[in-house]
Amino acid sequence: MSAIRPAAVLRRPSDVRYRRIEGEAVVLRQSTAEVLVLNEVGAAVLDLADGRRSVEEWIEALADRFETDRETLARDVLEFAAELAAAGLLEPAPGDET
Amino acid sequence: MSLARLMAAAWERNLPVSVLIELTYRCNLDCFFCYNDLALRGEPLRREQYFQLFQELADLGALHLTLSGGEPLAHPDFLALGTRARELGFAVRVKSNGHALRGELARRLRDEVDPFLIETSLHGATAATHDRQTRVPGSFERLLANLAELRALGLRVKLNSTLTAWNEGEIAGMFALADSLGLPLQVDPEVTPRDDGDRAPLAVAPSREGVMRLFRIQTERGRALGPRDADETLPAPPGKHCGAGSSGLAVDPYGNVYPCVQWRRPVGNLHRQGLREIWLGSAELAEVRDLTVRVRERLEAEGPRAALLNFCPGMAAVSSGGDPLRIYPSAMQRKELLETVLEEEARRPVLPVIP
Repeated sequence: MSAIRPAAVLRRPSDVRYRRIEGEAVVLRQSTAEVLVLNEVGAAVLDLADGRRSVEEWIEALADRFETDRETLARDVLEFAAELAAAGLLEPAPGDET
Repeated sequence: MSLARLMAAAWERNLPVSVLIELTYRCNLDCFFCYNDLALRGEPLRREQYFQLFQELADLGALHLTLSGGEPLAHPDFLALGTRARELGFAVRVKSNGHALRGELARRLRDEVDPFLIETSLHGATAATHDRQTRVPGSFERLLANLAELRALGLRVKLNSTLTAWNEGEIAGMFALADSLGLPLQVDPEVTPRDDGDRAPLAVAPSREGVMRLFRIQTERGRALGPRDADETLPAPPGKHCGAGSSGLAVDPYGNVYPCVQWRRPVGNLHRQGLREIWLGSAELAEVRDLTVRVRERLEAEGPRAALLNFCPGMAAVSSGGDPLRIYPSAMQRKELLETVLEEEARRPVLPVIP
């Protein structure tokens, strides 16, 4: 699992479909037919992964919503983004060179 | 939370996860036992109304959107509607007979709609049987060619079939054909009356022996696959018998909304109301949800093996003149045959494990 840098710009691959259900996210990866359920933070990360905002900006946005210290949040989000990327649910946006 | 538990929550709290839309009843095949009500008339939904419907469904949290028919590809706006569904983030399924799925249309379907799954119909293991059921000569050979093309395009395909008196002798061959194509095959053991109650299709209902043969083959194939994941076999949550009108619904070409494709009890019409208004406020839909609770209670009174009935309230209603609680003959036969197969399984010698 490769580390994700805060400046990275990531997006959801085109084969990922998801919906929010009661705060969580049901995610279908069409190419593999895998279905995953992500918790509220995971769902929020998927929402933010629009291919325009950097992971750093995600952390800013999430800091307003989750009551946790900034350092812990940054570490968790970077680890989580790396896990989602390893699972094929995030990919570098075109032009991202981080 | 696991997927199964999340889906159970959708069932219990009325969250529409999966929706089936019949775009048109036009079709390029002519299957004798087709369940569509071809005499149904009304004002077809327009493209903008479908766009509005899709948006409302996305806002309500629907993930799976099945485009069906008739033959959905026969709808003049099929590609535009499928594209909008993709843009709104749906996992799109297309239920097609497969007859037109080739060449430019197949390529555009992949590139523009990007479906999660295409479900096509296989009616026999031979051209004679398949074409007899579709009443279109050459449809079997064309389907096989189209399936090869769809696979080459990288599209995910599943085969569906209905067991009939005409194909019941070829079921083993149909599974062998599906295996040779590398495609899953799902066989429904029951021919149903048409949606208007017309029982003419039952003239080709399979024999008792044919259903039994199918159950034995399915059991044998299930055994070969090994035990299923515990999460996958999670029992249904308490409360409702099924997700009809709770986790899913169906819409016909004229905007009539039903709790399920098999339960044709109108709960609203999209020419008069938006989908959200129907989903949250329809008294008829509330009644259906209540009925699914009563069906559950009714079946629990039948004992632990009632699950073998594979009871469908919609099928019950159409079989009994409107009563969705009444246990119908084909369900009773299914239970009886499945009990026999299960007893045969229980008597199977368990081979010792050789290290």
